[in-house]
Parts: sequence; structure tokens; C-alpha cells
Amino acid sequence: MKKINRREFIQLSALASGGLLVIGVAPSEGGEQKIVNLSANGGQSLNQFISIGADNHVILYNHRPEMGQGTFESMPMILAEELEVDINNVEIRPSEANESLYGSQMVVGSRSVQSEFMILRKMGAAARTMLVAAAAQKWSVPETECAAKAGMVVHESGMQVTYGELVEVASKMKAPENPKLKDPKSFTIIGRSTRRQDIPVKTNGKAIFGIDVKVPGMKYACIEHCPVWLGKIGSYDKNAALKVSGVTHVEVTQRTVWGRKVDAVAVLGDNYWSAMQGKKALNIQWDANGLDGISSATIMSQFREEAKKPGEILHSVGDAESVFQKGGTLVEASYELPYQAHVPMEPMNVVVNMTENAAEFWGSTQHPNGVRTFLSTKYGIPRENVRINYTFMGGGFGRRSMTDVVEEAADLSLKVNAPVKLIWPREEDQTQGPFRNCSLNVCRAVLNGDGSIEALEHKIVTQEINNQTGDNNKAGRQIMGGVTTEYQIPNMTVRGVLQKLHIPISYWRAVYHSTNPFAHESFIDELSVKAGKDPLEFRMSMMQNHERYNRLLNETMRITNWKSGKKPGTGRGVALVERSGAHFVMVVEVQKKEGMIRPVKVTTVIDVGTCVNPDTVKAQVEGSVIMGLGAVYAGLTVNNGRITEQNFDRYPILKFNQCPEIETHILESTGAPDGAGEAGLPTIAPAFANAIFDLTGRRIRRLPMTQEDLKA
Amino acid sequence: MASIQVRINGEMRAMEVDPQMPLLWAIRDFAGLTGTKFGCGIGQCGACTVHLDGVAVKSCTLPVSVVQGKSITTIEGLSADHSHPLQQAWIEEQVPQCGYCQSGQIMTAAALLKKNPHPSDKEVSNAMSGVYCRCGTYPRIRKAITKAITLSKS
Ligand code: FES
Ligand code: FES
Repeated sequence: MKKINRREFIQLSALASGGLLVIGVAPSEGGEQKIVNLSANGGQSLNQFISIGADNHVILYNHRPEMGQGTFESMPMILAEELEVDINNVEIRPSEANESLYGSQMVVGSRSVQSEFMILRKMGAAARTMLVAAAAQKWSVPETECAAKAGMVVHESGMQVTYGELVEVASKMKAPENPKLKDPKSFTIIGRSTRRQDIPVKTNGKAIFGIDVKVPGMKYACIEHCPVWLGKIGSYDKNAALKVSGVTHVEVTQRTVWGRKVDAVAVLGDNYWSAMQGKKALNIQWDANGLDGISSATIMSQFREEAKKPGEILHSVGDAESVFQKGGTLVEASYELPYQAHVPMEPMNVVVNMTENAAEFWGSTQHPNGVRTFLSTKYGIPRENVRINYTFMGGGFGRRSMTDVVEEAADLSLKVNAPVKLIWPREEDQTQGPFRNCSLNVCRAVLNGDGSIEALEHKIVTQEINNQTGDNNKAGRQIMGGVTTEYQIPNMTVRGVLQKLHIPISYWRAVYHSTNPFAHESFIDELSVKAGKDPLEFRMSMMQNHERYNRLLNETMRITNWKSGKKPGTGRGVALVERSGAHFVMVVEVQKKEGMIRPVKVTTVIDVGTCVNPDTVKAQVEGSVIMGLGAVYAGLTVNNGRITEQNFDRYPILKFNQCPEIETHILESTGAPDGAGEAGLPTIAPAFANAIFDLTGRRIRRLPMTQEDLKA
Repeated sequence: MASIQVRINGEMRAMEVDPQMPLLWAIRDFAGLTGTKFGCGIGQCGACTVHLDGVAVKSCTLPVSVVQGKSITTIEGLSADHSHPLQQAWIEEQVPQCGYCQSGQIMTAAALLKKNPHPSDKEVSNAMSGVYCRCGTYPRIRKAITKAITLSKS
């Protein structure tokens, strides 16, 4: 595949009747951002980000799939800001999936706004500059006397002309190489909450998700995998399944997860209910393949044993080891976290149609380019013959960045010679993984006489997403995500002891930031208690030189009235984290309610750099707090090699009546935008646990919390 | 196979289906209305909520034979032009994230307000706790329900 390093502006002039100005970027292999006029190519087959018609109809294209994170609106907002159009008066459309035109369209790690910010601004500015030049030409006045405003160019004299009237002339112009960007101080869209254009269709049933796609001749497939991971198919009753009315096929299929092949049996039919009934009738007997001896308890005892190993040093400042050898006030604690499932509300599903030398995909994906690469590589289909139609996603959280379900559906489509819509029942989704890793975190520290930390060691015993098979048994830096290294601690070491298990893990919202901070920020809290210091001030004392954290901690202190003390009957806990550049400080307030300890209020103070859409950022914080709190209350258990919690009855996600009040404060910043979609998740567990300690003196070091832990 | 007659969003439909088929799949795969969603299939998450003679029901566990001759409303039929106070409030409060659970949320809230136009916070909590949202839109749902109550007064 052609590697895309830099992108050039390309002005695409498709001169349909009356004129049309189309602006986009195109990939280039090296070279500067050179402006190329491609009007001769018509523009239709090229990428488009901005399209302005002679009728003033402005279309802004969002090239990043929408899964709830809000890029549907935030990407076009950036274009609109520089283009000087009213975001509420433009049409937003999803772009096609084509990496050779749009570069990466993968939505992971809260990166979309972060990585696309500048290029989108430049495109908007290029179009604006051209329109202004066209107006100046029309009026024979200097460009400096003209300004763009709300879809029009206005002259000092008061003359004005709409963009639509200028596109014919502008579309013949050369796009500027380095258009002048607006001064962020004059932003009128970026930094303001706008109404998301994807929301109305999400209130009336019109939004189309992958699971809603219907194509002619399509078969519906239901599937069963061995409940014991990497088990084999034993026997099944194919005829019984075929007897179910509406069932047409029973087929074996396979998916690949991190290089390992996983077998499954699928039942296909004319509607999904028939396929589900057929699956039941199969009565599959699985062969556990000798892998049913493993359980959560055996995994944790293995991890504890392994924690005795020194592991790899992943981060080191000073010489912690020699401080530990010298002795002093030693504090030690270990923390445990379980596997978690992604559980997007839309169960995993795809529609795939494989035909002679071509493939077409419809559905919810975080990685449209990955789907194309997969289908093209595995089946030897030219990339241009793979058509990707991405839809709204009913949540992703990392799970939809993989192609394993696509593989099963493609295989089935080839076998039955028809388009196949494969829907995983919730039980498969929850028990088959890949999961969020489970983790054992062992921390120790030596305190000085004045209560400051002299040395700290954090050892992480877990699996590594990027290294699940093969012979390399050394832990990599990936696993230390979310360990705060910014504290000014003179001697600090982070170690990793890599674990290899046959249970697959994958990216889950915030990835290792969803596990390590529970340990790290709980441990910092334990140290503050041991040192006899206020936990917030203790953190401040170690962040004096860190401008962003220092400001956040001060603001948190002010906003939460920290110094005036807690209200009677409440406990307060604090935690902080940096994720995808975003810095968060969170305070959780707990109370005893109906015999249980409940979080009642979550206050988050955040610095996300330039914030494109504050309301979307707030929604993301609310969402990550709620997902994180769900993971405080529930986790997956392995028993006899299989996951016990098969559906929502055993693995409840957070419910409406468990939701605390959530208040988010975004600090003003002119810095480059950070990724804000995940950072609310890592802090909720430690801040909550720290608040419980504050209220009860009970330190909780294992997730999920039990009823016992939460008893008032 | 049986022929089941159901009124869906005011329109009488006859469907040739297995009488045991849950209403959810009849609505989605046979009536072609995809606003009603599949989440768990065991009556836990509420993504599949529709109104059966005005009452909120989870359609994934309700055999279609049970609704023979009855009247069903799905999200598509909640209001003619999507102007139900809840739909307006949902937009004003910018509730949906991924949006997948939202049909179930709105239909559940609509049935609640129909029965009880001025529910207490507790009554809202009780009614809404049967509908899951993985994206975590609960705080906004609460605000939107409060807003809808005011909207329908005016
Ligand atoms: S799909 Fe019906 S309650 Fe979950
Ligand atoms: S909005 Fe995504 S599940 Fe509720």
C-alpha cells in the first residue's frame, strides 16, 4: 500500500452547470504541500471535503466514522470555521471510505480532532481565500478590502456577494499553497457548542446502523463459537438446523484473532429469527481442546507468582532500587482488575457480499481502510474492487477496529454465494472477546521523613495487546499506559512482567489507561494518607513544575471548594490522568444511601487544548465516567475456561438509577487540540475508591467492587 | 407459519411468520422498520422497546402471536413529523451519542409521560433504569425528560 506521509491541497473543479467549487486534499509521496489544479479530472472520483454549489448549497464532508464520539459534527466545524459559513446552514455528509483519497479514516484513541485539526483548517482557509479573490476580481478591488463572512464576501463599501455567485470564477483558480489561517481569537464556531447534525435522525429511528442494512438477496446468519477459547468443533446436528423453517444453510467458518484461528458454526436463513432458531437446533458439542482448566483464580495466582520476577524496566528515573535496598518507611500495595468486554449496544454485525474478483462491505466499522485491506489481501481482490460502505456505529469502544467478524461473513458469503448479514448474538459478543486485559499491579514506595516520596516502583503484570503470541516474552512500553510519570518523584521505576495466555485481549476504551491508573492513583492516595497529607495537596506538591497539571489542580481546588472541607456524611476522592494529550483531574463525592455507598457527584476539570465542540467534549466525559463506573461494578469472570457472564443479566452495564451527577469544567486553552474521548474513564475508579476510603477507611484494591466493598 | 395481523403505526399489516418469532424481528425483518433495535434478546436492555396498545414493552421477548390484532407503535410512529415533545427535548439537550439505544429510551419515556405526565425523579429513574445506554447519555436523558414535561405544558 502506498504510504501516505504528507498531503497536498488539490483543488477539484467539477464544473457542473453553473459551477461548483470542490476542495480536497490528496495524498502525495513526499514533497511539499504543493497546490495542484485537477479540474481536468473532474473532481468526481477525487476526495472532497468542501463542495459549494452555485445555488449556495454548501456540503462539508466528514471523513471519520461516527460511533457517538461526535466527529460527524466536529470535523466539519473545523472546516466551517475557516471557510466562514454558518455550520447550521450547511449539509454534512459522510465521505466515502477511501484511504488513498482521505488518508487514515480509523477512529481510535480519541485522535480524530487531534490529528486532522490543521489540515481541515487549511482546506477551509484555502476555499475562503479563493472566494475572496474571486470577489475582488469581480469588483476590481484589492483583496485586502474584502472579507468573508457567513457564506458571503463583503467589501468595505458594503457591497456583498454570496459564495454561490463566486464559485464559477473561484473554481478556475489555483488553490493557495499556504492560505492564511484565522487568528484563534476570532473563532466563532470552534469552541462553541453547536447542535450535532446527526442527532435528529437518532431521535426518530431514521439513523442507519450496520445492523439495519438490507441488500437484495441477503442471507441472515447467526453464529456460535466454542465457549472455551480456541476450542474445537465436536459434533452438531446439521439436519435439525436445516429443518427449521427459513433456514437455508449450515456452514463452518473461521476468524483470525491476533494470528490465531477460531472456529465457529453459522446458520443462515431468510430472516434472523430463523437463523437463531437454527443455531439452537444445532446442539453443538464443543471440544474444549484441553483449555478448560483456566479460571480467573488460576490466572491471578499465576500473575502473583510472576510478580516475583523483576520483569522489564519500562520507565526509570533516578535509582529506585537502591532506595528500596536502603530501607525506610516502606509502603506496599497490589491491585487487581478483571477482563472486560466492550459491549457496544449494537452487537457485532456486518454485511458482506463477495463476488467474482470484487467485494462489498456495509456496516459499522471504526476502521474502514482496515476492512478494505483485509478483504483485498485475504481474497486477492484488487483494492479498487473492494467497496466499503460505512454506517453509523452503535458504539465501538475499540471492538470495531478489528476485522474478525468481517472475515467470518466474507467466508460465509463465498460459501453460500449471496450477500450475508452476520449478527453475533449478545452472548457471543460478551464471551468471545477479545477482551480488555486483566491486570495485577504491584506498587511500593519509600517515604521521606517529611512525607514526600523518595522512591516509587509500579510493576504491571499483564498481557500485551501487541505481543500475544510468539516467542518474545519481554514486556513492552505499551502496557504502562496511564501510569503518571509526571509526578516529581526523584526515583521512580515502572516494570512490566509480560503474561501470555490464550485468552485474547484488545483495545478497549482508553486501553491500558483503563487499568493502570486504578492502581497508580489509588497508591498515590495511600501514600498521602501514610504521609498525613491532604490527597489533593499531596499531588499538587509533586506537580509544581508541571504547568498543565498545576493549573488543573489549582482550579479543581477552587471549583470543588476543596479547602472548605467535605460535607458531613460524604467522602471525597481525587485522581488525575493524561490520555491522548488531554489532562484530567477528577473529584468524586460519595455518600451512604439505602445501605450502600454511592457516588453522588463527579466533578472533572479538564484541559484538552483547543476544544472544538465543548458540548461534545462534555458528553464524552459523561460517557467515559459512566462506562468507567460500569467497570467498577462489573467485570468478566473466567471459569472452566469460559466466561461466566454471558449476557446483560450477569454483566450489567451502568443503569440510569446508578448514574451520579456529572459536572465538567473545561479550562480555556489555545494549545493544539487533544483527544478528549477517553480520559474520563481512567480516573473514575481510583477517585471513587479513594472517596470510599475517605468515608469509611476501607481501601478497595480489587475490581469489580463487591456488594461487601460497597456496604455502607 | 401463521398469518399475523398487527396494526403498526396505524397501518394494518399481515405477516406470514412463525408465531413464536419475537415481535422485534417481525418489526425489523418483516415490517422493515429498523428504528427498533436488538441489544440483548433477553429483555434486559430495552433497546427493543415499543408500545403495545400504548404501554412500553420489550419486543425481543414477546412472541408476535401475542400481538395478533393489537396495535403497536414504534419510534417511527411516535409522531407524524418527529415533533413529539420528547423528540424536541432530545435534540435540545443533545442527548444521543451513538444513538443506538435512543429509540428504546424515547419510547420508554413516552409511555411513562403518557401514563404519568408529571413523574417524580424517582418515577423517572424507575422507568428509565430498564433501558441501557453504553455511551452514557443518562444525565442528558434526565434533563430532556424534564424539558419535555415543560414543553408539553406550553
Ligand atoms: S433487545 Fe430486548 S431488552 Fe435487550
Ligand atoms: S447513545 Fe449509544 S448506547 Fe445510548
